[in-house]
Amino acid sequence: MSVHEHEHDHPHDEISVESAGYYEIMETAVRELLVAKGMIGPGEIRRQIEVLDSRTPALGAKIVARAWVDPDFRARLLADGRTGCEELGISFYDDTALIVLENTAEVHNLIVCTLCSCYPRPVLGLPPDWYKEKPYRARAVIEPRKVLAEFGTTIPDDVEIRVSDSTSMVRYLVLPRRPDGTEGWSEEALAALVTRDAMIGVVPVTLPETIQ
Amino acid sequence: MTDSAHLVRKLPNDIGGAEAGPIDMTEHELLPWEKRCHALADVLDFKKIINTEEKRRGVEALGAQMIGNLSYYERWIVAFGNILFQKGLLTPEELARKMDEVAARHAAAEAGGA
Repeated sequence: MSVHEHEHDHPHDEISVESAGYYEIMETAVRELLVAKGMIGPGEIRRQIEVLDSRTPALGAKIVARAWVDPDFRARLLADGRTGCEELGISFYDDTALIVLENTAEVHNLIVCTLCSCYPRPVLGLPPDWYKEKPYRARAVIEPRKVLAEFGTTIPDDVEIRVSDSTSMVRYLVLPRRPDGTEGWSEEALAALVTRDAMIGVVPVTLPETIQ
Repeated sequence: MTDSAHLVRKLPNDIGGAEAGPIDMTEHELLPWEKRCHALADVLDFKKIINTEEKRRGVEALGAQMIGNLSYYERWIVAFGNILFQKGLLTPEELARKMDEVAARHAAAEAGGA
């Protein structure tokens, strides 16, 4: 918005909102200094933004759906999450290991990063804000059932809840249970049921209400 | 002085098991500079300039007050600055001068109707 369009009298607050803040200026300055010193290439940040934009929970959902329909794949995925994903053409852009945790009738898994915000970004994209904030990080490891209740999820008392705490080098992905009533569904139709939050472990995978 | 012992046992990031309120499920789209900051973190990690654990410790080293008052990516970029100073890859003076230059550029662009 140009200053010339601002001849009429309304406050100019919106211009100051558009102005770069202190931390944005710091980000630009650090990036430009690193480029000027040749420590990073001028196009590398933009390329990595494209990589980040290409990573969404749809990738995780594809992995889950394949594991539901292909027991051999599921076994390989549970043995080594990373090579399982790579088998489906999902590359890892970092050095992290991936452990896939299978929900069963006896065990429900939940993932967290108590120390910061480690998350299986190559297969789920960036984490939701609540995953990075104190209440979830602090409480998931000590009162998971109460945390799950806040997401509307009730796990029967006879089902064990396992909480896995991520690190900078080891990330987790929950393989949710396949919902009843999906026998014979295509992989694509199954993948469409699988949500980000189900792969974090805070909700189950459910059928759309129109089908239930 | 045992009332301070918890400060030694648990650094600011180590909040697993701490008491906390309800989960706020509001989500926000990253601002463009926040996404650039995230991409910068990844590139610094690929190039073995700052790895993920160094970044985490860099945030922790900001101390509880800054951790409490800065947003997620604000903490990251300040931590990157500090780590780059410690590694001798940037100097505080270089960063201060560059920030003045970037701020002046933004101001000129706004004055020019950009």
